[in-house]
Amino acid sequence: MGLSLEQLTGWLAGVDEFWIQLAATIVKFIVVLLISLHVPPLMVWAERRIPALMQRRKGPNRVGIFRFRLFGLMQPLADTIKLIFKEEVVPDTAHKFFFHLAPVFVIFPALLVITAVPFGHPVTLGGYIFPMSVTRVDVGFLFVLAISSIAVYGISLAGWASNNKYSLLGGLRASAQMISYEIPLGMSLIPIVLIYGTLDLNEIVMQQQNVWGVFLAPISFVLFVVCMFAETNRAPFDMAEGESEIVAGYLTEYGTFKFSAFFLGEYVGMFTLSCLAATFFFGGWQIPFVSYETLVQISGSSLVASLIGMMVLLVKAAFFMWLYIWVRWTLPRFRYDQLMSLGWKFLLPLALANVVITAAVLVALQASRL
Amino acid sequence: MEQQAMNPYLPVLIFLVFGFIFGCIVSALSWLIGPRKYNKSKHEIYECGVPMVTSAREKNSVKFYLTAILFILFDIETVFLFLWAKSFNKLGWFGFVEVIVFIVILVVGYVYVVKRGALEWD
Amino acid sequence: MAEVIVFYSIASLLVFCSIMVVTRKNPIASAIYLVGALFLVAAVFAFLGADFVAAIQVLVYAGAIMVLFLFVIMLLNIDPELLKSPPMTAGEAAVLILTILSFIVISVTVFKGQLVAPVGELTTQEIAKNGGNTAVIGLALFMKYVWPFELASFLILLAIVASVVIAKKDKKKLTGDQADAERNMVGDLR
Repeated sequence: MGLSLEQLTGWLAGVDEFWIQLAATIVKFIVVLLISLHVPPLMVWAERRIPALMQRRKGPNRVGIFRFRLFGLMQPLADTIKLIFKEEVVPDTAHKFFFHLAPVFVIFPALLVITAVPFGHPVTLGGYIFPMSVTRVDVGFLFVLAISSIAVYGISLAGWASNNKYSLLGGLRASAQMISYEIPLGMSLIPIVLIYGTLDLNEIVMQQQNVWGVFLAPISFVLFVVCMFAETNRAPFDMAEGESEIVAGYLTEYGTFKFSAFFLGEYVGMFTLSCLAATFFFGGWQIPFVSYETLVQISGSSLVASLIGMMVLLVKAAFFMWLYIWVRWTLPRFRYDQLMSLGWKFLLPLALANVVITAAVLVALQASRL
Repeated sequence: MEQQAMNPYLPVLIFLVFGFIFGCIVSALSWLIGPRKYNKSKHEIYECGVPMVTSAREKNSVKFYLTAILFILFDIETVFLFLWAKSFNKLGWFGFVEVIVFIVILVVGYVYVVKRGALEWD
Repeated sequence: MAEVIVFYSIASLLVFCSIMVVTRKNPIASAIYLVGALFLVAAVFAFLGADFVAAIQVLVYAGAIMVLFLFVIMLLNIDPELLKSPPMTAGEAAVLILTILSFIVISVTVFKGQLVAPVGELTTQEIAKNGGNTAVIGLALFMKYVWPFELASFLILLAIVASVVIAKKDKKKLTGDQADAERNMVGDLR
């Protein structure tokens, strides 16, 4: 090949930084998209195998390709293919436009939020610094919360567009549940901002090098995990899709791939929140007792060290995903009024008290240091 | 050529559009690919197998309105708290007392809401 | 160059959504287009570098207030058939034409560059030097504008009390079957 490395870097040095950053962002987005789109099939499989193990039976293990059964990992693939090719039945009296639009509002917030999660230390390649999150916004926190509140529309639209009173009621209740738990979710993150003094997610991870967030703000962690379960409509808060309650709630009239589109959105949302929990409380991509510089020295390259960080973050997120499944198959479902009472009457005052106490402690520390 | 840094919100815009289009494709996939055989009873609204008793266009309870409006108000409070938390280091005691006053006033409102029973039965 | 393209595409989409809001017969369609319009307004804010305001716009306006609107529309559940409006009267047509004319006048004035606001001291570089949008707004709010901030909390308290008073009937006066009936009664904002 006539193009040597020196010629390539010489040409690259002349290109605007804008285009290089844009190209890097697109590469990052493709990687993140592929990772987050592979999570739902894995979760579907885990959702059936892990409870099987917990209940002393085997889960699905028959589906295979060319005799490779792979512990039933082909099952989600078979399910997806079947669902795509089935006939989609749209009720006659439903509102066609919103019926088709509702799953979109569930999928795209989850995909957008995951662009703010830092997957590793910023990589230095050829004189440019590439942050390892797809977008690096200064108001990272608020961006995350803002986009999560868009997901409420998908569910209420789905319930309403079906023109089915059970769907409407289920959709309204699920939306009311989601918005009720968004307040403790936001408030539980305020002590994190107080402690680390920044809204940028990359900064928060970098400051957790010595002590993880969970030790500095344990009540916040507990609050966040509880609200995490409620936001994604997962057990024990899954009244909305309660299988024995109002049929399937807001999903009643949805079949085939739209049905799995809702679950796609839900699982990607779970993955996103798991990554966020790992980022705020468990040090993100930091390996305990190993600093980034050590990693660079060991691996010899900034990029490899950051990719190791990414693997670490994925392991931590996987822990939270396993926690989701474990809790779902262990705890019984809450009644709806119990659920709302918990959110408004217990978690909200607790979150406020948490903020006040953390602030008081920090101000006292500040004053004593002066 | 001058070095022009990328506006950090440009990727957000790109991926917003992409996420939306991706969602639309996912939503339309089975509608486009699956078979389509029209049958009147298939396309009726599901009500446990019996014909629909009442239409879905009935009025619902007012509890949802209360929940939504309380959500807005406490969301605004959360926004103010985020603002304070970011500049917390520079504000010290003065800011802390200010925010305590703010929170106390809102706690009064919250206690009123709980006492009035506006958060029951939802 | 790219900035111009991005801005005009966001702006034209915003105008489209706004027109859709006022012309739809179905109130839910109007609400959803309004959500889109508010989201695009946030995009314009972000484009101008006001990232905090953009995030807050999505969080509070498009994410909370519009949810309230949507809930209320779904609560009321009005049959769209009843919402058909009569044809436009002469007065309404006159107002419409006046609006379009004033829009044209304003756009021409803006395009000619005759409506210029003076640039204040808070340029993008100044803000970045002082720690970004959130820090600057926070410091200003808590140091210079303390009293408006506390008044805002009173305003929120007022809103809480007012909404509960409007939506919640006094339960003490009802007993037994009547209480059950009242509790199950629907949608009556007395």
